[in-house]
Amino acid sequence: METYVQMGLGLTAIAMGLQGFWRSGREKRRHGHGHHSFGHKHDGSVFSIDYYAYASRLRGWNPGFKALFSMVCLVLCIACDNVYVSLGTILLMGYITVVMGGLPFWRYLSLMTIPIVFLFFGSVAVALGVAPFPTGQYCVHMGFFYLYCSDESLLATLRLVARAFGAVSAMYMLTLSTPASEIIVVLRGIHVPRLIVELMNMIYRYIFLMMDTQCRMKNAAESRLGYCDFKTSCISFGQVAGNLLVVSLKKGNAYYQALEARCYDGELRFLEEEKAVTAGQTAIAVVSVAALLTVWRLTA
Amino acid sequence: MTKKQKKLVVCIAALCGMFAVVPAANAMHIMEGFLPITFCVAWGVVCVPFLVIGFMNIRKRLDENRQAIMLLALTGAFVFVISSLKIPSVTGSCSHMTGTGLGAILFGPCVTSILGIIVLIFQAILLAHGGVTSLGANCFSMAIAGPLLSFGLYKLLDKSGMNRKVNVFIAAFAGDLFTYCVTSFQLALAHPSPTGGFGYALVKYLGVFAPTQVPLAVIEGILTVVIVIGLETYAKDELKGIGFLKGAQNG
Repeated sequence: METYVQMGLGLTAIAMGLQGFWRSGREKRRHGHGHHSFGHKHDGSVFSIDYYAYASRLRGWNPGFKALFSMVCLVLCIACDNVYVSLGTILLMGYITVVMGGLPFWRYLSLMTIPIVFLFFGSVAVALGVAPFPTGQYCVHMGFFYLYCSDESLLATLRLVARAFGAVSAMYMLTLSTPASEIIVVLRGIHVPRLIVELMNMIYRYIFLMMDTQCRMKNAAESRLGYCDFKTSCISFGQVAGNLLVVSLKKGNAYYQALEARCYDGELRFLEEEKAVTAGQTAIAVVSVAALLTVWRLTA
Repeated sequence: MTKKQKKLVVCIAALCGMFAVVPAANAMHIMEGFLPITFCVAWGVVCVPFLVIGFMNIRKRLDENRQAIMLLALTGAFVFVISSLKIPSVTGSCSHMTGTGLGAILFGPCVTSILGIIVLIFQAILLAHGGVTSLGANCFSMAIAGPLLSFGLYKLLDKSGMNRKVNVFIAAFAGDLFTYCVTSFQLALAHPSPTGGFGYALVKYLGVFAPTQVPLAVIEGILTVVIVIGLETYAKDELKGIGFLKGAQNG
């Protein structure tokens, strides 16, 4: 039975890849560009995920529906703890994000590398064991202890890595198609306390303001050789951060008065677009979840 | 083992050691899907009482003075920005502060727990650090355990009349280190070693993450001291406003 599932997953992957390739080729002809950038970068593009969310073609989908869909897939992927279900989740969610959402494939891959350092260290600790006596199938003497691993632990690690990537891809389906402000609306919908929602809305706005201020302060410090060596950069970093808090706190009163002047009574209300869930979207979600469940039934 | 094999093993070990030093990790966020579902739920439940206490505190504070919400929002955004910035490091890799130690020292642990969970949600949404399912575990280690220890140490050392800078350094350093220990504990609990059980797994996780996390804790301590000095020099009045906040959550 497992071979059939393997073949099925492989064929699905090939079909999805071909379709995605065809679509991206068509789009490239239309827009006439195709430069790739790979890797996890930090310079100024801290909020690339939010940026891609605004640009996504899935933005028109109902945010609550997307959140529910991605959470169901996420929980399914973790609860089943099965390599095939995980691979299926990666394929499905990757397809939805990249091909249907229109995110460049290389960008998607480079976003996938964000948690890779943690994953590397975490899975090394699962794969390798330490013991005072020689055990396991493969074993190395390291002075006063033995480092060992076995086929079993390697398989467990593989399952863990697949599960983690499946979960990340399910989460990306939501975050790469839904701006944070819409996610906050969903949170209010499930009755998260009003105070928390309010704080989240404000924090979301201030993050961007502060990031901007920090960027300018950092440039100013950098152009005066503030980051020339380790000691100086520690001092500059601390001063920029401290100054950032001071400047923002000083502005805090002005912000509040501005809000009160506009009749702020403890609740910020934003214009929300009403996005209906179409039959096609429901069908996609149902078919995806059903496919994952079938894979799980066949291989469990 | 022949001599050649021994040499090979030494070389590989050295290579692994180098790898362990070069890529400094994000401040120990457990990634999405790394914990089994039971542990996700369990850690979430553990967090609830702390969050409820924090929520009550904030609400009481806001009932007295509505304007404080601005202060809270700015603080939350500040903790997020601090934790998303690339900090200077010796090896030239990217690493991040937790920022919650600073939050706890300035604003107290109760406020930090609520701000911490909001910051963690935004980190998961905007930066893909951490995740929704591991939110409970991350919240416990970063927004509750670390800040509690930082705050406790800070108060204790403050009473004993230690130099303020040393005090802040120790509090931030220990808070960061404790966060890392708690995360290792959580990981070991979720993935115990098949032969040695929980104890061996804990040693493994502590060992694997130590080369990146210990220097990071030192840097976090230094940076927190520099930030606090800057605040003391330029923002006496604002600090009094915050102290007002801190007084409220104590009493």
